[in-house]
Formats: sequence, C-alpha cells, structure tokens
Amino acid sequence: MIDVQNVDKIFFAPHEIQALTDVTVKIEAGEVVVVIGPSGSGKSTFLRCLNHLESADRGQILIEGVDILDHKTDIDKVRAEVGMVFQSFNLFPHKTVEQNVVLAQRVVRKRSKAEAKERANTLLKKVGIMDKANVYPPQLSGGQQQRVAIARALAMDPKIMLFDEPTSALDPEMIGEVLDVMKTLAQEGMTMVVVTHEMGFAREVADRVIFMDGGRIVEEGPPEHFFTNPSHNRTKLFLSQIL
Amino acid sequence: MEEQLTKKQLRFWSASYFVILLMMIAGFLLATSQITYSWRWSVVPTYFVTHQDIEINSEIEGEVQSIESQGTSTVIAVRGDDGVTVNYDVPEGEILASQGDMVFIGDTLGKYQEWVPGLLLLGLIMTIKVSIYSIIIGILLGIIGGIARISVNPAARWMAYTYVELIRGTPLLVQIFIWYYIGSTLVNQLFAKYGGFEIPAFWYGVIALAIFTGAYVTEIVRSGIQSINRGQTEAARSLGMSHFQSLGYIIMPQAMRRILPPLAGQFISLIKDSSLLGIIAVRELTKATREAVTTSFASFELFFTCAALYLVLTFTLSLFVQYLERRMGSS
Repeated sequence: MIDVQNVDKIFFAPHEIQALTDVTVKIEAGEVVVVIGPSGSGKSTFLRCLNHLESADRGQILIEGVDILDHKTDIDKVRAEVGMVFQSFNLFPHKTVEQNVVLAQRVVRKRSKAEAKERANTLLKKVGIMDKANVYPPQLSGGQQQRVAIARALAMDPKIMLFDEPTSALDPEMIGEVLDVMKTLAQEGMTMVVVTHEMGFAREVADRVIFMDGGRIVEEGPPEHFFTNPSHNRTKLFLSQIL
Repeated sequence: MEEQLTKKQLRFWSASYFVILLMMIAGFLLATSQITYSWRWSVVPTYFVTHQDIEINSEIEGEVQSIESQGTSTVIAVRGDDGVTVNYDVPEGEILASQGDMVFIGDTLGKYQEWVPGLLLLGLIMTIKVSIYSIIIGILLGIIGGIARISVNPAARWMAYTYVELIRGTPLLVQIFIWYYIGSTLVNQLFAKYGGFEIPAFWYGVIALAIFTGAYVTEIVRSGIQSINRGQTEAARSLGMSHFQSLGYIIMPQAMRRILPPLAGQFISLIKDSSLLGIIAVRELTKATREAVTTSFASFELFFTCAALYLVLTFTLSLFVQYLERRMGSS
C-alpha cells in the first residue's frame, strides 16, 4: 500500500541538512507501523514525505501504486485518501467542531450537507465528543482537540492514517483518551503509520516498529523482537534511555 | 507596574483636558475677532440644499387658450399658430400667464421652486462614491496582490513586489497626474483612432486611488496570511484541499479578522486622500468647498464644515469596522 524506495530529503534552510538518507520501507494494507527515534532523526520528515507535505529529493514513493513524486500526479487526490493527525492538532479555530469535520467532506468529497453532517456526528460519537459539536476548538482541552482532529481526518474515509507525534503536546492525563481512539482504529484494520514516543502503544498495537536515527532506518521488526532483543547498539542505547 | 493617579489628580487632569480645549477654541475666536472677519454660518446650509426657481417657458408661438388648476398643479394650454395645442404643467407655484395672452417662444408661463442639492452635498456624495468604488477595487487588487506576493510562482511574486514598490515609492499626487494626463491622453487618442468612447475624469480618479490603496492592502493581506500558523495550511492540504480552497476556506477567513484594523486605517486614509482628486476636475468635497468659498467668501465656515464632513465619514467607517470586529470576534 505504501512503497518507499531510496528516499533522500535535504533541507537547505536555515542550513543544509540531510534529513533522510536512502529510506526504503514497504507498508502493507492493514498494517500498523510505529516509527520511533530520537528528535532530529528524521521520523517526522519521513511521515510528512508520505503525503507530500515535504517533497522528497530523490527516490520513489508509491501510495497505492500512485507515484506521488511525479509532477503529473494530482496530489490533492492522493491526500484525500491519506489522513493526517498533527502534534499541534491544527484544528480550524474559526469553525465549530462539527464544521471542522464537515468542511473537507463538502469541499473535497462533494458530499451533501446532510450526508457530511451525519458522517461527522457518527465520527464525533466514535471519538466521544458528540456533545461538543457546536463548540469552537479553542474551548476544548488538548485531548479533546486531538480526538476531533482524528475525526476530521477519518471523515474523508482515508485508506491510510498518518500520526505525527499525536500525544506529544498533551498533558499526561489526556494521552490515554487519544491512544484509546487510535487503538480502536488499529483494531478495525486501518493502515496506520505512527510517529510517537509512546512505547506502551508501540508494544501493544504495532505490527512493526521502525527505529530511525540520523535520517536512516537503523532497525525494524515486530515489537517483541524490538523491545526485548534489539540487534543494533544505537537501538539499545535509545531504548535504555527512554524505557 | 502601571503608574496610578490618585482620585484628586485624576479629577484635576480630566478637568484640565476640557479647560485646554476650551482655551484653544476661545483663543482662536479671540484672534478672529481682531481681524475683520464676519462669521456667516447661515450661508452654510444653502450649500447643502438650495431653493431654486424653475421657469416653465413656452416652446411655441401662440395664444394661451386655458388655465386649469388640477389639484396642486396647473395646466396651461397654449394653442399654436399652426393649430396644435401644447399643454404645460406647472407644479405648485406662480402662474405668469393669463388666458388670451399672446406668447412667443421662450416666454415664461409660470415658475415654481424646487429643492436642489447644493455644492457641498454634491461634493460629499462624490467623495463617498469615489471612496466606495476605490475601496472595492482596492480590496480586490489587495487580495490578488497579497496572494501573488507569497506565491511560489516567481512571475506572480515579482509582479506583486514590483507593483507594491512602484506604487508605495511614488507620491499619490504624481500618480494621479500620471493616470489623468498620460493615461487619458493615451486612452482618448487610441479611442479616437480606433473608435470608442472617452473615460470621464471620475474613473481616472478611482483608478488612481484604487491602485494606490491596493498596493498597501497587498502588504496588509500578505502579512495577514503569513501570520496564520503554517499548520493550518498543512491541515487543510492534508485533507485534500487545493491551494486555493485552503486559502479561501481556511486561511483568508482567519487572516481577514487580523487585517481588519490595519485595513480600516488604510480606508480612512483613502477617504482623506480622495481630496486630491480636485486637481483633476473631480468635484469631490474639497474641490466643492473651494468653489463654494469663491462664491460666498465664507471660507472659515466652509472649510470647518468640510473638515467636519470628512470626520463624519471616517468616524462612521471606523465605527463600522469596530462593529465588524466585534461580530467576527464573537464567533
């Protein structure tokens, strides 16, 4: 479903940095992949390359067989199939919770108002925020905002969901409610790529864990192997620091 | 910590404000009393509306056949020498003809009075008209310019940059001259050559003001868009919205709220700058005032009135924007 081959990404501002070097990953439908690594390891850049928020400089990225680095590809169409959840939520502050979830359905999916609203309400119920449908995002707690953001992405009926450190900006007591929603999603068979520092989540939910450092994939494997018996020293060091 | 005044000090300085204001007015009046200037505020209203005599003249030669009053107006029938009868309707007023009179072309049959707008009112209306057109075009130019200014397309970006620097770097007065004298010469001669119509000075004035304002609005819109967190664009784009959908639904509505106050300042400037259009024979408020002064010599009164009228316009706009801000802020 996601096929990344030999991807390089170089940032030129503020100074030249090779953020990704020769990254090759294949992710199957229904797979939950957790990407971990120290800050600056390129894991967020990798994730953002998958829906072309960052443009990879070399290599190939196929999403459901569509080459997103090809200039002829309509990237908006691909993005509609790939949901993304951000560290800082990025809800639209001038729209109510319901409008946040409805807007892209109407504009991109061209759904009728009634259909979009129904879908929004179903999803808001699913993430447990239906009683806040008419509230503006800044009035919600961080955990609630992030759950709305997940509902907003799901409203497009994406085939893939990308999570960019979804719990890093949350107060500790709110992390659980967001992770629960993500677990449910994983159990339902959603293809997910999750950048996170939540090792409990990785251990419990991931089918595969990818460890990145210095813009390269250092090691990947199923969580059991990963957390109990890592093969690389760099991985061992990282795990010993955070566990 | 903010400096605090005692209640007594507060009262003293509040009173001082009014005393100073009154003294300045009194000082001015005292100064005018030393010269021979006679205040004639009574002429000012006549420059808003005036009573004008309207004469109804016969257009044919003949004889007044009948004068019939119909309700408030009177119908005078004139039978021409060729036997054709023409009816003239005189609204409530004075009848100067009587039955059987011989009339010639141009003879006054009757006259009545009508309220007509005076110079100042006409000027005020013209100023409002010029301002509204310029604001609308200026906003459009500014939004297009602002979006172009941060476009990834270098042609759009450099065009917008050139536009802004060119317009902001030259005096408005010079720009008005250029539009009017050079622009109109070109346009009118081209039209004369290829057929068409002439554009009245009014539109050169509007174009000059709109393009001038558009350059400033461009910068305001650009800074407004850039003040919106990048994450908003990313969220919108990640949902599959196009560049322009994301601008239209997500960025601009949020930017609008932030740019409203500087935008209001810009439009207040525009209303005041419209006073320059008098030099290209657009009879807006300032030009109208100057004309009124030459006929009445009540220069003090008229210029004060003129200033007060501008103040009414700009203050109204300012209140309107404050209202908009409150309404947008509450949502």
